[in-house]
Amino acid sequence: MAKYLGLDKLQTFAKIIKQNGGIKGSLYKLYRQDELKLGTLVGEDKYGNKYYENNMYFYGRNRWVEYADYYYLDYDGSQVPAEWFGWLHYKTDLPPHLDPSRPKYPWMADHTENLSGTAKQYVPYSTTRPKIEAWCPPKKK
Amino acid sequence: MNLLPNLRRLVQNLVTQRTLKTSSISLSENLFVHRDSAEDNPDIKFEFNEENKKRADAILSIYPEGHKRAAMIPLLDLAQRQHGWLPISAMHKVAEILDLPKMRVYEVATFYTMFMRKPTGKYHVQVCTTTPCWLRGSDEVLSCCKSELGIGVGETSKDGMFTLSEVECLGACVNAPMIQVNDDYYEDLTPETTRKILNELKASKKPPPGPQNGRFAAEPKGDFTSLKSEPPGPGFKMQDL
Amino acid sequence: MLRVPLSKALPNAVKAVCSPKRGSTTLAKAPEKIEVFIDDKSVMVEPGTTVLQAAAMVGVEIPRFCYHERLAVAGNCRMCLVEVEKSPKPVAACAMPVMKGWRIKTNSDMTKKAREGVMEFLLVNHPLDCPICDQGGECDLQDQSMAFGSDRSRFTDIQFSGKRAVEDKDVGPLIKTVMTRCIHCTRCIRFASEVAGIDDLGTTGRGSDMQIGTYVEKFFLSELSGNVIDLCPVGALTSKPYAFTARPWETRKTESVDVLDAVGSNIIVSTRTGEVMRILPRLNEEVNEEWLSDKARFSYDGLKRQRLITPMLKGPEGELLPVEWEDALSFASKAIRDAGSEIGVIAGGQADAEALIALKDLINKLGSELVCTERAFPDDGAGTDLRSSYLLNSKITGIEEADVVLLIGTNPRFEAPLVNSRIRKAWVHNELEVGLIGPCVNLTYSFDHLGEDPNVIEEVLSGKHPFAKKLLNAKKPLIILGSQQLERNDGVAILSKVQQMAKHLSSKIGSEWKVLNILQQVASQVAALDLGYKAGVESLKECPPKVLFLLGADECAITRDDLPQSTTVIYLGSHGDNGASMADIVLPAAAYTEKQATYVNTEGRAQQTLVAVTPPGMAREDWKIIRAISEVVGKKLPYDTLNEIRGRLEQVSPNLTRYGEAEEANFYDQAVELSKEACNKLDCEPLEVKYKDLEDYYMTDPISRASTTMAKCVQAVRKQKESKYYDSGTA
Repeated sequence: MAKYLGLDKLQTFAKIIKQNGGIKGSLYKLYRQDELKLGTLVGEDKYGNKYYENNMYFYGRNRWVEYADYYYLDYDGSQVPAEWFGWLHYKTDLPPHLDPSRPKYPWMADHTENLSGTAKQYVPYSTTRPKIEAWCPPKKK
Repeated sequence: MNLLPNLRRLVQNLVTQRTLKTSSISLSENLFVHRDSAEDNPDIKFEFNEENKKRADAILSIYPEGHKRAAMIPLLDLAQRQHGWLPISAMHKVAEILDLPKMRVYEVATFYTMFMRKPTGKYHVQVCTTTPCWLRGSDEVLSCCKSELGIGVGETSKDGMFTLSEVECLGACVNAPMIQVNDDYYEDLTPETTRKILNELKASKKPPPGPQNGRFAAEPKGDFTSLKSEPPGPGFKMQDL
Repeated sequence: MLRVPLSKALPNAVKAVCSPKRGSTTLAKAPEKIEVFIDDKSVMVEPGTTVLQAAAMVGVEIPRFCYHERLAVAGNCRMCLVEVEKSPKPVAACAMPVMKGWRIKTNSDMTKKAREGVMEFLLVNHPLDCPICDQGGECDLQDQSMAFGSDRSRFTDIQFSGKRAVEDKDVGPLIKTVMTRCIHCTRCIRFASEVAGIDDLGTTGRGSDMQIGTYVEKFFLSELSGNVIDLCPVGALTSKPYAFTARPWETRKTESVDVLDAVGSNIIVSTRTGEVMRILPRLNEEVNEEWLSDKARFSYDGLKRQRLITPMLKGPEGELLPVEWEDALSFASKAIRDAGSEIGVIAGGQADAEALIALKDLINKLGSELVCTERAFPDDGAGTDLRSSYLLNSKITGIEEADVVLLIGTNPRFEAPLVNSRIRKAWVHNELEVGLIGPCVNLTYSFDHLGEDPNVIEEVLSGKHPFAKKLLNAKKPLIILGSQQLERNDGVAILSKVQQMAKHLSSKIGSEWKVLNILQQVASQVAALDLGYKAGVESLKECPPKVLFLLGADECAITRDDLPQSTTVIYLGSHGDNGASMADIVLPAAAYTEKQATYVNTEGRAQQTLVAVTPPGMAREDWKIIRAISEVVGKKLPYDTLNEIRGRLEQVSPNLTRYGEAEEANFYDQAVELSKEACNKLDCEPLEVKYKDLEDYYMTDPISRASTTMAKCVQAVRKQKESKYYDSGTA
C-alpha cells in the first residue's frame, strides 16, 4: 500500500537521513560528497575510510567509499588503499578483513596517496652538469 | 641458379686477388721508453774516470767549435765501455758535457742497437743468425750457447757474466757461423768450439779471436781451389790472325 | 729527421739558460730568378725555393704531413712526392730545391701512384679508430687519404697480429696522446725545439719501434704547448679538456680576440649549444702568427665557472643576495645620486673600450674625473698624454727584424708568450742578441744578464756598461720595458731613462725604426689610456669616493680596508672574484666571448671580439648596463646602439675603431723632454717581475683563476718540479 503511494520512498529518505547523522549531518555530507546514500558498512580501513555496500543501487554504484573526515574536501581516489581497491572495483567480493587468502608480509609498504600537484610531489632532478656554474658569494663569518 | 656466379667468384678469389699480407710484426725486445729501476735511475750518479776524462777531451778536441754534438756517439760509447752498459745517468752526463738537451742524447742512444740500455753481462755474446750463418749451422751454435750459459736470448746470467743476444749479419759471412763477444769475432764455429770458447771465458781467460778451424782469415780451408796453375802468358786464347 | 744543427758559439751565454742552439734556415741570396714549370705553368722563383713552395706560388697545393711553413723541413713523411720530368724517381717536394727549367708534374700518374703508395704504408700502421678519434673531421690523414689514397684496401691481417701499437705518454693535463695514431711527422718535436724552446720531445727507437715521446717520465710543459695539438696532422696529440666533447662540423666558429694578455691574439671560438667548446688560434701574421698561448687556448672552462648570472645586493647580514635587474639598477642609481660627484671608477684588465668610454662619460657627467685603471703608470713628465710612452712602438713584427733587444724588468715569456716566441724566432733565425735587466729568468733563449739593479739602466744609458756598445753598434736595436716597472715608485725615472736611451739610439739610426717599446700586461690598459683614464689608483686612495665603480677590477688594487665604511662599491664584471667579494652591488656583465667589443693590444692595434655565445643568465653587455644606469640616474648617455657608442669612441680616439690596424704613435722627442723635468732618481731596490715561473703563468686573471684546467696545469708544474727529471735550466 505504502509502496503505491510512494511512502516507501519517504521511508527510505528518512532512513538515509538517519544513517547520515540527522539533518545537520546529512547536509554536511551532501556538502562534502554531493550525495547521500544508504548502505551497510562493510568495513573501515586503517586510514578511517569507510566502505559501504547496498545492492539496492545498480551495479557500479552499489559499493562506495566515504573518505575519512580529516580529508574534508581534499579526497581523491588514490586515497583508497590497495587492499580495498579490489573490493571497490568488483575484482573480489570478499573485503580484505574477511579474506583469509590475502598475504601479509612484513615488507609490504604502507599505502601512499598520489602526491602529484602537492608540495610533496616527486620532481626528477637533473643528472647533467649545468653549463654555467654561478658564483656563490662567500658567507660572512 | 646462382651457382655459376658463385663459382666464378670463388675461382677469381683463388686466382687473381692480390692482397697486401702482413706477417706478425717483429719488434725489438728493448723498451723505447725509460722506466726507473734499481740499477738504472737518475739518482745513481755516473762520472767518467780520470783516464776516460782524458779520452773524452781527446774526442771532443777532434770536432770543431759549434759541432761538438758530433762527439755524442763516441762519448756514449766511452761511457758504455766504462760502465759495461749505458745507464740513464751516463746519457745525462754526456748531455751535460755537450751542453745539449737530454732528449737529443736519448734519441741517439735509443736509435743505435749497440748501446745497451739494460744491465748487460761482462761478456756480451752476440750470435749471428742471418742466412749465411744459419745455413752453416748457427742454430746449433745458438742452442749450444743457450745450454752452456743457461740463459735464453736477451737474458743475462745471474752472476752478471754473460748476456746472450741474437743479431743480424755482422759481416763475417765468409767465416760463417760466427759469434761476437764484446769486440771480438769468433768465426768458423761448431758447437764444440763454441763450448770451448765459452768455457774459457767463464774461466776468465781470453780465447784467441778469429777463425776457430785453423784458417788464418778468409782463405780457403786447406788448399787453394782455383788459380793454382801458372798464369798464362800474353797472347793467351787470342785468335791467330 | 733533418734538423740543421748549427749551434752558435755564445761565450757569454748565461748558464741558467737552456743550451744555445739555433737552426739556421737562411740561404744565400742569389740575384737571379730561375724559371720552373709546375704542371706546364711557368713560374719565376728565387734559387733555393723548394718544389713545394714553387707549386704554392701557382696555387698548386701538394699534400704533406711533415712539412710546415713555420718549422724546419724534415722530409720524412714522403707524402709530397712529385714527378719531375727526366728524374727516374719521384722527389720529395718539401725538401728539394728547384733547378732551372724543371718541369714538375703534380698530377701525373707517377705522382698519383707515389702518393697512393705512401698513403697505403702510412695506413698499414694507423688504427681505424676515426669514429672515436677527436681529430675526426679535421684530420689531415683522413682528408688526404680521401683525396689521394687508394679507393680500396689491400690490408688483410692474415696473422691477426694487429697493427703496430705504441703505449700512450702522459705529457701533462693539456695534451692527450694516443701514440698508436702517430705517423712520425715530427712536427711536434720541431715545434718544441724551434718555437717553444723546450727540447723535451724526441724520437726514440728506430724502424717499427720508433716512438715520439719524452723517453723519461716527464710532462711536456710549456706556455705554448697547446700548439702541438694544431700541428699534429693526425689524432695522436689532441686536446685533453676538449676530448670527446664536440665534432668540428657541429660547432659554430666565431672569430674573436683573446684578452687574457696584452698581445690580443686572434682566436676562433668554437661553440655548440650555447657553450664554448674550445678556442683555436686564427692566423694573423702581425700578431700571433698561427700560435696561441696555453692560457688563451685552455682557460675557456673558466668562462663557465664562477660566473655572475644575476644582479646581487648586499643583504641585511652583509651577504650578497640575488635580485632582479630593476632592484639592482634602482639601488645602484640611488647610491650614485646620493654620492653626487664623489664617485670613482677602477677599470680592470679585461674591460672593453665600449664599457670604458660609457663609464667615463657617465662619471664625467656626474662631475667627477676619478676614472682610473688598475695598473699604474707614472704621472709625471708626459704621463699618459703621449701614446709613444705606453705602446710597443716597433710592433710585434718589428722584433723579427731587430738585431739587439734589451729587455728591462720584464719576463715576456709569461707576460706575453707570443711576443717571446717572436724574440726567440729572431734569436734563432736572425742572430738576435738579447740583454736582460731584471730577475734572471728562463726565456727559452740565451741572453746577457745585466743585473737586477735599476741603476744598470743608468750605466747602459751612459755607455759605461759593455752591453751599451752592442746597442750602439746595432742597426735595429729594441728596448722592451715591462709595464710592471712603471708601477714602482721610481717608475717615472725608469721610463725617463729608457726614453732617453731610446732617443739616443734612434738619433743614430734614424727615426724610421722605433726603439722604445713598453710591454703591457693586460688587455684593457692601452684602450683605457687612449680614452683618457688615469693610470693607477693613488688618487682614489687619497680621497676615497662615496661610490666606487669596479669595472671588472679584481687585482685588489684597492681593498675594502682602503675605503671608509660608508662607500658603496659597485662591481660590474663577469666573474665572482676579489672585486665581487668586496662589492655592495654586483652587476653581472658579459665575458669576452659574449660581447662585440673593442680591445687594443700592447702595440695599439684595435681589434674586436664577436659574440660567440649569449651572456649567461641575467648577465648583459657591459656598456648596456652602464647605459641603463645612466638613464635611471637621470644622466642619460647619448648612445643606444653599438654603432652609436663606437661613433663616440671614434670621437674620443679615432684609432679605436680602425680594426686590425696598429696606429703609429709619435712625439718621442717631446716625451723625452717632458720626462726630463720629472724626478730622475732611481731606487736601489732590484727590479722585480710578477711571473717568474711557469707556475705563476697559468692563473692571472678572473677567467683563468676560475678555470679548472689552469689549476691542473699549476699542479702539473708542481709535480714536475718534484720529478727526478725536472731540469730547472730548460723547463
